[in-house]
Amino acid sequence: MKQSKLMLTAGYAALLLISATFIIPFVWLLRSSLMNLSQIFTMPPEWIPKPFQWDNFHRALTILPFGTFFTNTLIIVAGVLIGTVLTSSIAAFGFSRIQWKGRDAVFGILMSSMMLPAAVTLIPSFLGWKMVGFYDTFYPLIVPAYFGGGIFNIFLLRQFYLTIPRDFDEAAFVDGATYFQIYRSIILPLSRSAIIVVALFSFLGSWNDFMGPLIYLKSDSLFTLALGLQMFQGSYSAQWDLLMAASAAVVLPCVIVFLIGQRYFLEGITLTGLKG
Amino acid sequence: MRKGLFYGLLFTSPAILGFIIFTLGPMIASLVLSLTDYNVFREQTAFVGIDNYSKLFSGEDELFYKSLGVTFYFVILRVPAVIIVSFAIALLLNLNVRGRSIFRTIIYLPSIVPAVASAMIWMWLLNPDLGLINSALSWLHLPTGNWLYSEGSVIPSVVITTLWGIGGTVIIFLAGLSGIPKQYYESIDVDGGGWYSKLRHITIPMVTPTIFFNTIMTIIGSFQVFNEAYILTQGGPNNKSLFYVFYLWRTGFRDTEMGYASALAWVLFVIILIFTFFVFKTSKSWVHYEGGERA
Amino acid sequence: MSRQRKSISVLLAFLIMLVTVLSACSKSDSNAGSGNASSPANTASSASAGGEKSDQPITLRMTVWGAPEEVAAYKVAIKKFEDKYPNITVKLQHIAADYDTKLTTMVAGNDVPDIAQMESASIAFPLAEQGKFYNLQDFLSSDPEINAERLVPNISYSLEPGNVIGLGPGPESFGLFYNEDIFKDAGLTPPPAKASEAWTWDEFVEVAKKLTIDNKGRNVTDPGFDPKNIKQFGVNFPTWWGSYSNFIFSNGGDFVSEDGKTFALNQPAAVEALQKIADLINVHHVAPSPVQAKNIPAPNVALQTKKVAMAIDGQWVSAGLAQSKFHFNVGVLPIMQKPMTTVVSGMFSMFKSTKHPKEAWELMKALMDPEASIDLITAGTWMPSYRDWYTDSALLAKWTENLDSRPSGYKDAIVDVLLNDSHQTPTGYVKNFNKIMDIVNPALDKVWLGQQTAQEAMDSIAAKAQAQVQGRRDVKG
Repeated sequence: MKQSKLMLTAGYAALLLISATFIIPFVWLLRSSLMNLSQIFTMPPEWIPKPFQWDNFHRALTILPFGTFFTNTLIIVAGVLIGTVLTSSIAAFGFSRIQWKGRDAVFGILMSSMMLPAAVTLIPSFLGWKMVGFYDTFYPLIVPAYFGGGIFNIFLLRQFYLTIPRDFDEAAFVDGATYFQIYRSIILPLSRSAIIVVALFSFLGSWNDFMGPLIYLKSDSLFTLALGLQMFQGSYSAQWDLLMAASAAVVLPCVIVFLIGQRYFLEGITLTGLKG
Repeated sequence: MRKGLFYGLLFTSPAILGFIIFTLGPMIASLVLSLTDYNVFREQTAFVGIDNYSKLFSGEDELFYKSLGVTFYFVILRVPAVIIVSFAIALLLNLNVRGRSIFRTIIYLPSIVPAVASAMIWMWLLNPDLGLINSALSWLHLPTGNWLYSEGSVIPSVVITTLWGIGGTVIIFLAGLSGIPKQYYESIDVDGGGWYSKLRHITIPMVTPTIFFNTIMTIIGSFQVFNEAYILTQGGPNNKSLFYVFYLWRTGFRDTEMGYASALAWVLFVIILIFTFFVFKTSKSWVHYEGGERA
Repeated sequence: MSRQRKSISVLLAFLIMLVTVLSACSKSDSNAGSGNASSPANTASSASAGGEKSDQPITLRMTVWGAPEEVAAYKVAIKKFEDKYPNITVKLQHIAADYDTKLTTMVAGNDVPDIAQMESASIAFPLAEQGKFYNLQDFLSSDPEINAERLVPNISYSLEPGNVIGLGPGPESFGLFYNEDIFKDAGLTPPPAKASEAWTWDEFVEVAKKLTIDNKGRNVTDPGFDPKNIKQFGVNFPTWWGSYSNFIFSNGGDFVSEDGKTFALNQPAAVEALQKIADLINVHHVAPSPVQAKNIPAPNVALQTKKVAMAIDGQWVSAGLAQSKFHFNVGVLPIMQKPMTTVVSGMFSMFKSTKHPKEAWELMKALMDPEASIDLITAGTWMPSYRDWYTDSALLAKWTENLDSRPSGYKDAIVDVLLNDSHQTPTGYVKNFNKIMDIVNPALDKVWLGQQTAQEAMDSIAAKAQAQVQGRRDVKG
């Protein structure tokens, strides 16, 4: 694909400018995590910590059992990630590549689950999970991922599946392929980008989820990083230096995962490669 | 293609089961509660019929109308802004420039920085006296504003702060862009068309399914805006940022009137449903699926 | 076709497996968690067995919020308590954020703790109104060690006279904190500490004017002073009810009338106080507007970096000030008509559903014992709850002398005023406080921004606010 030099340069400049704006919160977070309390609030803000308080990290990570929180978070995130990718991609296939009566109506009903504010379903959901004895376990946080992984993800994948030419399925059908084979050998490879997006979103969403663990967990030994992070915000004295250090420590793994994950959809697909 | 119904239901069964098990129950529960005077702390709950709804629409609850107006204003400003800005950024990120994986990560960063940290930044950026934005404006001899702190500009300011978190929308656009086969562009190159005709005839039609998705999601998300009021403004000044879901949460959890809050929720549900339905209906005329499928 | 069947059956097998695994988990788990699930039955049986023996193992649950060092202090107190009562185990549940949402959900799920830390402005009274809390008066009247007289004023919360629903582990009152160096450099006399010598409001304004400096070094009284470019404000005055209530009370005003029947913030005494505070911002330019104040978050930093010369704030800021290592001190609040401070404090409440009220009461006493939370008290975050810690000089010395957090003015300006001239927080006695303030706050926004006078703003919402007035908790009937 050819792009004119001029356009590339203009685009590059625009990207630099936009990135400069978008990176401010992250830089602010990092520099605050290395400052003492009074420098954090100096106005106008200073950008270089003086002195560098590396100790903030040490203190933040020892005050709370971050090792346990980290392990718990990993278990939940892994569980959610696997469930979401598996079942949302299968469900999206059923909502896009198979024709059946009532399909769009069913899809519309599922969509409606996103339209009711969570504040009013919080208590009924909690009561339900408690009734089956799952209060204070990871199940309320993980199990729903194995049942479609959220309509958001299904809808997203459905949109991508719908853009794949129907001829592929027809040809495969003529060759005697089953729906599952079409799903596995045609649709999945062609929607790799979208699936990686779903995987990334479910990783980050579950890593940063605060409300779920807050409501469904009560033992300290089960707490997650997102929950632990909140503990630095006291009601009278917010310890911003420690809060920022802990936040940075929690955010960094996300940044790395994102940096690696998004590399996989850098390249677009080519039709020739597919047919050949 | 026979047995479509069987296989369709089979493939979608995890999602349908999930909906029935995890979502339907709480939804029905809240609908029933909206017909009661449910208060979490009270032992007895009485069925009050449509009293909650008639209280809402009788004009007795001024804050209901106020928060509804605030939220509509927010949605109307934010949805086009998010779609246009995030699509533009996605196009830039899709250019074949050096270090674009770094750029992509940076654009996504604000979405994963904890909300309290971002809030602190916005307080500073938008501070009328010391903030970076006003300093920059006065340096350029442009008029400055009171941003979050004035009744007139609080909603546009909140819209600006949310634009910072559009990383997710951008990423979805990028995934959509990466699905466009390169051969399509080559045909324009052969015809001697420029970037505009590529954008107009290939890119935009090919990503309409993604635009459609992002539009629906942004509408649903914008109607349910909550965090910005909860963290940044507490609904002020003078209730000018009293977002609907913030008011709902306050009613349900602070004032413990969960029955009334449920009625509020169902009114919003119907509003969002109507908007989503409308967009779905119009999508037939503008969303283009390569698979030849209707939306 | 057979291949198609095969793949479908694989899919089916997978789903069935999933369901089986899940239901298996559910079974084993519901067994493990049966202590919770069947608790109503347990309650019934233990109640019918009648009373518990003292050596029977007992578990108490308690929920708290707070920063890690506060939680650490609770743990120390709990450890001592458990040593004293070896049969009792205390499970401390730290709810780091969204405390009310979490507690409300727990109540809905019948999973309440025995003791909860509560806040008067939030769901404490809604819970008490539905009879969820014990009346602690019954314990106070019969306990040999602790009673109402032994507690400092205004740290107990009553639903109505005689029905105590919560006791604070310590009071928090307000003072005028200041940077000593600023006064020295300006050659001004710092705020007096003794209530008898307190500044009048006008004296306070005059000093604040001299200490408000623009970017060219001019103060408010100098010609050419530029209120748009202020480098140092005379005073920081947070515009929330806790801080302005001090002056409404000092001026003889209130949020509602004495009989609890009338909205009173539009009455002359309250209006005058509100207007004078707004004038600090908009007429005298000695205090930052709420807009500017958003970026002056921590009083210790603001005072240390000379963003402000004085700060009206709660005594809890002492802890941060002590760590900041500069010459700070505290004076008594300026007076409008009489010396006065509002006392705000959290509280501990006991849920009616507790199976062990006696033990829970002992735990509450242990938490309120200043000896147990001495670290938080000496650090400056808390004050003791027992009156003798303020009146007995040996005990008083323990927490007010030779400490970074307790400067020279502290005893007069904070301790004495708390004992002699303190007022209960409005959240503690004004019924329906939050709903009233939902109407008042938007109107006050306009007052602080100088768009309306206090009289206009309060009059404009008086009728609506009056409709939300439901009486006082400290008045019978």
